Amino acid sequence: MIAVSVRDLSFSWKRNEPATLEIPEWQVQNGETLLLRGPSGSGKSTLLSLLAGINTPQKGELSLFDTPLSKLSGRQRDRFRADNIGYIFQQFNLLPYLSALDNALLACQFSSIRKERIAKAGETPEASAHNMLKRLGLSESQIQQPAHSLSVGQQQRVAAARALLGAPPLLIADEPTSALDAEHRDSFIQLLLELSAKNNTTVIFVTHDAALSRYFDSHVELNDLNKAGVTA
Amino acid sequence: MIKLAIKSLLNRRASVLLTVIAIAVSVTLLLAVERTREQVQTNFANTVSGTDLIIGARTSQIQLLLSSVFHIGSMTNNMSWDAFDDIRSRPAVEWAVPISLGDSVGGLPVVATTEDYFKHFRYGSKQSLTFASGDAFKGENQVVLGAEAASKLNKKVGDNITIAHGSGGISFSEHDDHPLTIVGILKRTGTPVDQTILTSLTSLEVIHGGESHDEHDHGDSHAHPPAESISAALLGLKAKPLALRLQRQINTYKPEPLTALLPGMTLQELWKTLRVFEQALTVISSMVVLIGLLGMLTIMLASLRERRREMAVLRAVGAGPGTVFGLLVSEALLLTLVGAASGLALLYLLEWSLAGVIQSQTGIVLSFAWPTIAEWWRLGLVVVTGFVLSLIPAWRAYRQSLADGLTVKV
Repeated sequence: MIAVSVRDLSFSWKRNEPATLEIPEWQVQNGETLLLRGPSGSGKSTLLSLLAGINTPQKGELSLFDTPLSKLSGRQRDRFRADNIGYIFQQFNLLPYLSALDNALLACQFSSIRKERIAKAGETPEASAHNMLKRLGLSESQIQQPAHSLSVGQQQRVAAARALLGAPPLLIADEPTSALDAEHRDSFIQLLLELSAKNNTTVIFVTHDAALSRYFDSHVELNDLNKAGVTA
Repeated sequence: MIKLAIKSLLNRRASVLLTVIAIAVSVTLLLAVERTREQVQTNFANTVSGTDLIIGARTSQIQLLLSSVFHIGSMTNNMSWDAFDDIRSRPAVEWAVPISLGDSVGGLPVVATTEDYFKHFRYGSKQSLTFASGDAFKGENQVVLGAEAASKLNKKVGDNITIAHGSGGISFSEHDDHPLTIVGILKRTGTPVDQTILTSLTSLEVIHGGESHDEHDHGDSHAHPPAESISAALLGLKAKPLALRLQRQINTYKPEPLTALLPGMTLQELWKTLRVFEQALTVISSMVVLIGLLGMLTIMLASLRERRREMAVLRAVGAGPGTVFGLLVSEALLLTLVGAASGLALLYLLEWSLAGVIQSQTGIVLSFAWPTIAEWWRLGLVVVTGFVLSLIPAWRAYRQSLADGLTVKV
């Protein structure tokens, strides 16, 4: 199965404007870990919003796990995202008023499929989230603490736990380590990839730091992918 | 999602608490206006429950009613004893109780009447007056106190009091040489009777310098009227339908100008004239509620900017823009529901804590009742208005989360 399949994709934010994103062809294999590097303004956030199903391309095809996203309604795409995509932001990933545990459990709030996957593994969502948080290095007391009292590094770990809870087949991380120092950054990436590998989760890791590519199966430059502005 | 809304609200508890308080206070005000009106009306109706007709010298009906029964305002003219005697001897009249007003003790009105007052006066659901201690006055220089009057003056049966002329708190002409003995104290009725000091017409006549009837032959006492004139009289009729005809007869009474009124009808007239004020109060209190709800709207709109990240996080875990919309609407609904409920609780708390003061000041007894249908309607209207107003921030959040998606640039 192919995780991401793109063909003749074209997207512009406003009608009758030149496209911000044009990708003739791109594929990501299932279970692959991929570093996507691009300077700011290269269409990074546009591509991510298309992959997450927030927006749909005006032209071309975008399929995730053989599901063409453009054939789904907005509501169906929200549902698809809830079930299949774990998403980590650069920062401010958490609802500050919920505990670390409740933040992680948000992943199951909108997805019954994730709950089913956890149930199949013989766990409750609470236990699974708890284990995941411990695995990511949070202490018992930190797990119960409200998210705003955690350090940035701990918050990113909670975000990772949420993204991975219920074993979604695709993980999208949008510069999740940019707020971390080098030491924390490396251990965070290693842990993230280790946990993803257990579920054979495909990882798309966006960063501007090419030095991280040693951790990933492949390295793609967005500028090589995106033909917008080149042919026009 | 309700859980999420609650937690989000708790996170902003300072501003949320203020909003709830604003809504609660305004709801209390809205309900209190209506409730006070109802309580006052029932109370007034209770006070005259056994009286079919009230007569007095020519004046406006409302003035006669207010001064004779509720001791509000004063009577300018008296009716003669002869006219009273004539009317009470008519076949339609079952009983007649004369009352004379104009004196006071420490600001409390003195009602001079006859023993028949205790026999015929009815309040509430046709209840008679009963004594907490002692008994009705029998002879001269005796008084009976209403429950509230007794506690205000701090007197008990056997004590003496002196009566002052005029109805003010302080009078320059106290009838010091005529102390009156308290022979009875009435049980609480929740009507203006509680505030009054009841004595016999003859006692009052003596105080005012008239002759004491005791000096005359007792066998002849019926020939002497107990007073030259009286302020008003309460009548009970043998059959209610006779009231209208008798009223017309009295209003066109030839020997002297008189006014007769049907208490129930005159009260209705009074309420009708006061309706404008009630409506003004209702409009004002509705405005206050609206201001409370607009405060909520302001706070919700102001918080939207800082909550954009929250919305993006929710969208990332699969919430649709519709869910974001629903989240804000449920927050507003929770706020207004809690606000309305606390407003209702505050109303009962106020009633409970102020009941004593209100009764001693006005004689009005607040009864604790479940909210009426009209009150439920008002509460419902508040919640619906809150809901409608919440559609504004909810719509904005919906648009915002559609535009932002997962990328928030704040």
